[in-house]
Amino acid sequence: MDKSEFDVVIIGGGHNALTCAAYLARANVDVCILEGRHEWGGALYTAENTAPGFCHNIHANFMEFLHFMPFYADFDLPGLGARTIYPEAQAGIAFSDGRPPVIIYREDMIERTCQNFAVYSERDAETWRALKTKANEFAPMMFGNLYTPPAKFDLQKDGLPTVNNAPMTFKFFGLDEEMAYKSIRDCVDELFETDEIRALFYRVAVEFCGPPIEWPGTGGTFLFACLWMPGCWRMMVGGTHRLNGAMVTACLKEGVTMRESSRVERVILEAGRAVGVETVDGRRYTARQAVVSGIGLKDTFQDLVGEERLSDYYRRRVAHFKDGPDQVLGSVAMALREAPDYKSAARDPDINKAWYQVVGYDSAEEVLNYCRAGHIDRIPELPGAGVWVNSIWDPSQAPAGQHNLTGWYFFPRASCLSEAEWEEVKRSYNGRFLALYEKFAPNMTPSNVIADYLHTPLDQERGMRMREGDFGHGAMSPDQTGLMRPFAGASRYATEIEGLYLCGSCTFPGGGVTAAPGYNCFKILCEDFGYPEVWRSESRSY
Amino acid sequence: MGMFDEEFDAIVIGAGHNGMALAGYLARSGWSVAVLERRTEEGGGLCTEELTEPNFLHNLHSNYHSLVGLSPVYDDLELEANGVDYAHPDVQMGSIFSDGTAITVHRDMEKTHRSFARFSQKDADTWLRLWEEVGGYMDLLVRTLMYAPPIALNDLTRALASWGVEEKSEFLSARLRSMSVAEFLDKHFENDRIKAMLAFHAAVCAYQPHVKGLAVTLPVLLGKISNWQLCKGGSHRLAHTLMRVIVKHGGRVYPQVPVEEIVVEGGRAVGVRVPDGFVRAKKLVASSIDVNQTFETLLQPKHVPAKTLEGVAGVEYQDATLFNVHAALNGLPRYKAAEFDPDIDRAWILNVGFESLEDFRQEFDCVRSGRLPEVPRLNVAVNSLYDPTDAPAGKATGLIRVFAPHALVDGGAEAWDERGREYGERCVERWASVCANWDDDALMRRFAVETPFDISRKMINYRFGDWMVGRIHPSNLLEHRPTEELAQYRTPVEGLYLCGASQHPHGYITFAPGYNCLGVIAEDHGLDKWWEEI
Ligand SMILES: Cc1cc2nc3c(=O)[nH]c(=O)nc-3n(C[C@H](O)[C@H](O)[C@H](O)COP(=O)(O)OP(=O)(O)OC[C@H]3O[C@@H](n4cnc5c(N)ncnc54)[C@H](O)[C@@H]3O)c2cc1C
Ligand SMILES: Cc1cc2nc3c(=O)[nH]c(=O)nc-3n(C[C@H](O)[C@H](O)[C@H](O)COP(=O)(O)OP(=O)(O)OC[C@H]3O[C@@H](n4cnc5c(N)ncnc54)[C@H](O)[C@@H]3O)c2cc1C
Repeated sequence: MDKSEFDVVIIGGGHNALTCAAYLARANVDVCILEGRHEWGGALYTAENTAPGFCHNIHANFMEFLHFMPFYADFDLPGLGARTIYPEAQAGIAFSDGRPPVIIYREDMIERTCQNFAVYSERDAETWRALKTKANEFAPMMFGNLYTPPAKFDLQKDGLPTVNNAPMTFKFFGLDEEMAYKSIRDCVDELFETDEIRALFYRVAVEFCGPPIEWPGTGGTFLFACLWMPGCWRMMVGGTHRLNGAMVTACLKEGVTMRESSRVERVILEAGRAVGVETVDGRRYTARQAVVSGIGLKDTFQDLVGEERLSDYYRRRVAHFKDGPDQVLGSVAMALREAPDYKSAARDPDINKAWYQVVGYDSAEEVLNYCRAGHIDRIPELPGAGVWVNSIWDPSQAPAGQHNLTGWYFFPRASCLSEAEWEEVKRSYNGRFLALYEKFAPNMTPSNVIADYLHTPLDQERGMRMREGDFGHGAMSPDQTGLMRPFAGASRYATEIEGLYLCGSCTFPGGGVTAAPGYNCFKILCEDFGYPEVWRSESRSY
Repeated sequence: MGMFDEEFDAIVIGAGHNGMALAGYLARSGWSVAVLERRTEEGGGLCTEELTEPNFLHNLHSNYHSLVGLSPVYDDLELEANGVDYAHPDVQMGSIFSDGTAITVHRDMEKTHRSFARFSQKDADTWLRLWEEVGGYMDLLVRTLMYAPPIALNDLTRALASWGVEEKSEFLSARLRSMSVAEFLDKHFENDRIKAMLAFHAAVCAYQPHVKGLAVTLPVLLGKISNWQLCKGGSHRLAHTLMRVIVKHGGRVYPQVPVEEIVVEGGRAVGVRVPDGFVRAKKLVASSIDVNQTFETLLQPKHVPAKTLEGVAGVEYQDATLFNVHAALNGLPRYKAAEFDPDIDRAWILNVGFESLEDFRQEFDCVRSGRLPEVPRLNVAVNSLYDPTDAPAGKATGLIRVFAPHALVDGGAEAWDERGREYGERCVERWASVCANWDDDALMRRFAVETPFDISRKMINYRFGDWMVGRIHPSNLLEHRPTEELAQYRTPVEGLYLCGASQHPHGYITFAPGYNCLGVIAEDHGLDKWWEEI
């Protein structure tokens, strides 16, 4: 019979949970990890769901944290099969009238981006040169912060800590501190004069993270999403799920007991303490020291623990935790005979080889309207998207000579539409997108598409248990970020229930393939249980 | 390039269950082992995907596992303790007939007997005698016919003769080697439907009822009729489990690493070339894929004797592959035939459409001519009956399989891309026609099809969509599989072994080719056999 007693039992097999498990096992803790789905890795998910041989990363695709991620280095994930490609042209936008494309290149190719921007504006090129140089300098500091648990603070005694350290960061960039209190859009508009360049920044900001781009007080996100992130993206050879493969191998090597198809239905409490879990097939797993949850906040407290076991404060805070409306995407996947060939490529062929390609907008205004739709619970009228064709760099992701296009629509939360309405979107939206696409890339005709698929926020909610389809397991609004994530008093991974910890994206620093919540939670477990601090490394401060 | 800095004692090509099992044994023997897989997932025919909707788990390939508990690999590699979990349905199989009657095959043979008896008391009694007789030598047959290198048919016949088979056994005979499954059934049974039920069981195992000579192993097949098992959480869970065993013992599985060449130096296989470069194998390379790729594509011609290449070029593949419909259902189907036999609603592997041996002849004739039958004859399974976790609460996952040609007479294999959906609809209609609650419950949410052409594109070793990786025919079984020269798992290239479904006994989730290859490797390399030899 299967073993059922462990030091630590982890709920969920996403990358954060895998991170926590691998470090625990390395610290000689007897750990078991339980995943509800038939596959590991949560949103490190690659599906072959259009046509045979076409791999689509219908969740995470762009890996920007790998080179700072402790898990990646400490467990030699490249040696376990996590190989990467680093495309030169990282993000671009094409236009239907064949205007020159705007392209952002890798962080080590600042000059090429400047040359591209200079086609429209010398001033914007100058601005990029100055700011991107600063962003590169800033990155190591940011990472130290991400991979360290938020500081302890006592709300009663100390009052609300400074939640926004963005003003300081703006100063570091040589910019006005006041910009921190503005919106992403204001920051973009103030710094860049070209409409085409603004359009690209808006789209990148809305899709990759954070709050609605017109919300005041989100300037910090501008620094992160527009200045730092484009330029750092690595692709996983063979699809994002291969990163999961390496993580799983690392866990197994360290001796983690892993069970898939084992959805946890209940956290078992004894005398107020978490002592184990029960899975859907009726099995019980005893945790001698801790139960660690790598799933959503409401899932943990409302579904598995039960609201009746919570204090009033926890019950309220959990109930009020917001999922979406930012960080909600629909994923489009198309099996193609040919990769898209843009009209704008006549002006600069690199747009055909830009990794993240923004399609469907001819002005910044159109992107803005698109972004606004999701925030008023609507499907955008203009079916633009951000897409990528990984097979251009990694032929193993599609049959020989053919291509795997995948992309995102910015969509409203899962609950904004009925199941029937989502069905209708599934049936029709890709077709509408394609009709628009052809205006930008004439070879994107229906006959170029072998098969297509649309994964809605509702699918994400159901399949991955991401409520509302929120890819970060909780909105990144100021009241749910930093020391306030998931809510004040709960930001250090321990919870009010003794023996119950959180290690998923609902905790600091939030969503994205950072592996930071899992890593930080491990640090706290070391403090609480005296485990050896195997996270320490000569080569980094965090 | 981190990943392949090390060299390995053994490299296994292909991460199907055979390759992974072999790797598991070798790793546990202390060897360093890497399994290289071209697809994005390990598992080969252990493939589970959410093809229709999230949380609906569809087994694209193997769905019915029939050697759980019989194959030594489950115990040797401690698969249960490493997380695999099987359901063993109490109603194993069933047939629904056009007049509203039904047969059910149960784990409990008394119940099976009762079901058969409603059609023919004589056949029901014959069946029980057959069942009891086979029970007496099942272990022996499984051991000698599956989990051992192939013996020559002549030797087998001689052994049977010297044992005095004609006196001792009612059902075995030296003559079986020239009989078809249909002839065997005609000889012993009288009722068309009972014969159809038993022939259906053989056909699901890729034994076409009218192929001469296949009756020779029919007793083993019939002896497993109550051992159909369902891998809970999807067949892919067995692949996860094998992966755990391999890594636990220090081995590695690398998906998305297609092998492009088997490198030979001085007549020996010394490693493989992959897109990233060369990976060295110090002791051996074992290939679990089709022999055409292994010898015609992966090896340079100068390293393969002409005779071997000639043999490989002549290897034949099945003329009937499978067309599949994967359905997301709003609930469990109930059948009109439940009025006749309520157990039919719980039957796992369901025959809808084969009512006599003649039906099989027509079906396979039609398939062989590259045509699709007007009214498809189905093999239906609703796994959620026995594993409700394979669908959202209250919903169900359904599967239809029909025998089908890889190339259609008009348009070839490519024509499937145009016609698959429409044929899927016809299959669904046929299923709906025997259901009692199809319309009331709006049972069908959505379905997806996997055509024979899809199979051959997804799994390139299933040439022409052949899921057994080589024709099931006396000319390609036992000592002839895949050719006489290659039948003993060794090859003319020193250090290169064959361990996949191309080898004896055949495809299916048996683990037998991998296990038998292990035996040969153990001999050649003087491995200490820690596993229990059966
Ligand atoms: C469409 C989309 C695009 C994205 N793109 C990017 C990108 O390009 N770059 C990037 O960095 N990030 C991206 N992300 C975000 C990133 O992928 C996620 O934020 C991150 O992977 C979350 O990791 P996690 O481990 O916290 O949770 P998850 O990956 O959500 O894992 C949680 C796991 O827990 C399991 N689970 C849930 N409930 C239970 C239960 N009761 N019992 C057992 N198991 C349970 C789930 O099945 C799941 O496997 C994207 C996300 C989406 C959805
Ligand atoms: C539609 C369908 C239904 C089936 N139903 C059943 C069933 O119900 N029950 C049952 O028992 N069996 C069933 N089978 C058959 C069963 O799946 C196979 O016979 C079995 O999986 C073969 O196992 P294997 O390990 O020999 O090969 P495989 O499982 O095919 O593994 C071989 C692996 O090698 C990989 N490969 C190929 N070329 C290369 C290369 N050049 N480099 C690296 N890797 C490579 C392949 O991608 C594959 O993963 C079915 C098959 C199909 C297609």
